[in-house]
Amino acid sequence: MKKLFVIFLTGMMFSCQGILDIEPTNKIPAEVLFGDPEGVKIYMANLYYQLPIEDFAYFRAGFNQNGGDPNNGGFSAAMMTEEAMHTEFGDFLGDGDFHWWDQGYKLIRDVNLLIDAIPTLDILEEEKNALTGEGNFIKAFAYFALAKRYGGVPLIKATQKYEGNADALKVPRSTEKETWDYVLELCDVAASNLGTVKGRRANKYTALALKSRAALHAASLAKFGSRAPMSGDAVTQKLVGMEPAAAAAYYAACIQASQAIITDGAYSLFRPNPASPAEAAENYRLLFQNPNDAPDEVILIKGYNLPGANLGHNYDIWYQPAQVANGWPHPGRMNPTLELVDLYESYTNPGQSAPVVTTTDGNVNDYGGYDPAKSYIRFSTPNEIFQNKDARLWGTAVLPGTSWKGNNIVIQAGYVKPDGQAAIRIKDQITVGTNTYYTYGAPSTTMYSGFDTYGGNNTRTGFSFKKFMNQNSPIVPGWNQSTTDWAEFRYAEVLLNLAEAVVESGTGDATAAAKALNDIRRRAGHTVAIPLTVDNVQRERRVELAFENKRFWDLIRRREYHTQFNNRVMHTLLPLQDLRALPATMYIFVRVQVPNSNPRTFEPKSYYRYIPGIGSNGLVQNPQY
Amino acid sequence: MKTLRYILLAGVMTLAAACEKDNFDGPTAGLSGRIIDADTKLLVEQDIIRGTTIEITEHGYDPVKPQVLVVKTDGTYENSLLFENTYSVKPMRGNFVDVPSQDIQIKGKTVLDFSVTPYLRVQDLRVEKVGNLVVATFKLQQNVAGNVVKIGIYADKDQRVGEPMRLGQKEQDINAPADPNTTYRLEYNPDEFKTQMPLGKEYWFRVGALISIGEAKFNYAAPIKLAI
Repeated sequence: MKKLFVIFLTGMMFSCQGILDIEPTNKIPAEVLFGDPEGVKIYMANLYYQLPIEDFAYFRAGFNQNGGDPNNGGFSAAMMTEEAMHTEFGDFLGDGDFHWWDQGYKLIRDVNLLIDAIPTLDILEEEKNALTGEGNFIKAFAYFALAKRYGGVPLIKATQKYEGNADALKVPRSTEKETWDYVLELCDVAASNLGTVKGRRANKYTALALKSRAALHAASLAKFGSRAPMSGDAVTQKLVGMEPAAAAAYYAACIQASQAIITDGAYSLFRPNPASPAEAAENYRLLFQNPNDAPDEVILIKGYNLPGANLGHNYDIWYQPAQVANGWPHPGRMNPTLELVDLYESYTNPGQSAPVVTTTDGNVNDYGGYDPAKSYIRFSTPNEIFQNKDARLWGTAVLPGTSWKGNNIVIQAGYVKPDGQAAIRIKDQITVGTNTYYTYGAPSTTMYSGFDTYGGNNTRTGFSFKKFMNQNSPIVPGWNQSTTDWAEFRYAEVLLNLAEAVVESGTGDATAAAKALNDIRRRAGHTVAIPLTVDNVQRERRVELAFENKRFWDLIRRREYHTQFNNRVMHTLLPLQDLRALPATMYIFVRVQVPNSNPRTFEPKSYYRYIPGIGSNGLVQNPQY
Repeated sequence: MKTLRYILLAGVMTLAAACEKDNFDGPTAGLSGRIIDADTKLLVEQDIIRGTTIEITEHGYDPVKPQVLVVKTDGTYENSLLFENTYSVKPMRGNFVDVPSQDIQIKGKTVLDFSVTPYLRVQDLRVEKVGNLVVATFKLQQNVAGNVVKIGIYADKDQRVGEPMRLGQKEQDINAPADPNTTYRLEYNPDEFKTQMPLGKEYWFRVGALISIGEAKFNYAAPIKLAI
């Protein structure tokens, strides 16, 4: 009995030594994951997936809106700027839109864990450097996304360890300036560790392009902050807002980063010397239909290789014109505005926006609607009125009566009857002689793409959408079926950043900046160089980068949103067939307010998003929230 | 059966008792008042969108989020659903010289008026129809340093018309201090806005001016109804 007891006790002694320390089988320990280069690759893929890239899956609810229920009506960020209207929604920026807080700090934690692990990995020194560079690039990208939304944020520079006291993990907000400085510092670390190999992962130039973009953003905030003064605790503690004096250093940083990319010569514009505007328009379209075909221009691509939830995206189903819907019930949501169309230059008058002139008196500010007494200019096709407009208009928007996927895209708002009375935006038909004419240009809803409110499928601005759209294959009528890749950084943006930084700061190489501006215009078929001015740079930026989700942040960083969107309505171009001209086929155009739309006003507090969860994280809230 | 009934009865009674204990009283207090021009004793006109707000911060909680009251266009305000407590009350981002925060006990229907100095006063206002036009003439009295950024006459179908809420407007940039001797004149052409506001009906007009102080709001005269 005694013996048995001793054996039992001995057994007890050993039993505690490990039998109960079971490794969970549903988790991979850090050493195993990071110990295997393949494990690191998988981890990196996840980090890249989390990058806050404002691409085809970026909507008001945030990033990667292509899984779960992706049905958000196709209301894109462009529709909160003057670039586009939605066919139905009249929404505007809300307090809850475009947040990225929890996800941001999750990505930062994930990347900090990686950076911790790098020294312990059994890989070559240059591979370690590359990982360090990528880690810092991702971290810089994350803090950039946080800073532009929230101003100064808590900087978690290294992994935090929970040791039973949650309060010890709470980090107060840094000032806005410290936050921007940290973003640029991370970009520098990334650039100095990264190589120059091109691919789907960050290289030296990706880090510099990010620095160029972030520095320009910070510089603009400093320079233009006084256009929208704010007050409150966050302001007095400098958590939002920067001194105007800070602008110079940020502009210099932008110039330095942009110049570094340009002088190294690793990138250039895609097809920089088109023979004609028509060729330029097609080149521009191709650049976005497949950015992989333009490795000379595109610095970082986010790929959408396969259709399916969390893989493909929904741009083609939401935004192609109604006539090519191929059975999909909700096409045609992106309606480029007349404001955007007006902005593009005419080749006949370089350096000026060329508003669409519809009447013989040339008044482009008359939005009073059709009036038989007015003298309208007659055109023989529905798009002759856009003749000589910048190639990029033709590459960005589907214009009335142009061809798309082999279809003549019919966008017509009505007709003027032979007696001079007009039928506009109503379904109607009239027989004159032996021919029957339809207000929307064709008898049935499958045969036109404009103005009929049927299904919310037809443009209400007179323009449909082309940029990024896949012309090669029919729409697959289902969710997440688009596989067009997204160009996050491209050389043209770097050139535009340089031009803006030089012209706004009055420093740097003005000749190089003017060349940068005009190189982009040359690629768009322009042959006359224009001077480097603030207006020219901004117009160029808006037309070149249209719909790349840049305009929203341009309005924010230049503090122009509250003046640009003060009781603002957008406008439409109504193409009407003029039956008074029969037997000739003639069209006239009428400039009007976008039908069924309301004025929209930007609230200055929206220059910053509210900080989520201040009840538990104890952070100082942004002004007026 | 009888046991079951007792159990049910006990259950119901527990539930009833529980409800009583769980529920706090609803808000019984309220705060209302007026924003009054210290000199003229008139209400200070406001915007309904992006206008003056009053922040009230309840004591005894930390962190605490201030509640924001939007001041009505006529310069009055009210929140009739507040809990009895001490609050810090401060008008924020208004169209008058800053008023310090004050701690008050809100109990029952508490009334709190603010006596303020508006940045600008629109005086001697006449709005009348001259031919097809609506012509506003007025003088501006400036009570603080700075420039008048712009003046404007705003039109809408709604009485709460103002710079951020209008269907038609005529504005003029000034960018200079107000001249007390100048009679400012604005000519509003209803023809320009007839798609939004068809002619032959009555509309509300309001004349306002904006001072170049950060976050300042427009100062207005009272709205006027006019047929065009």
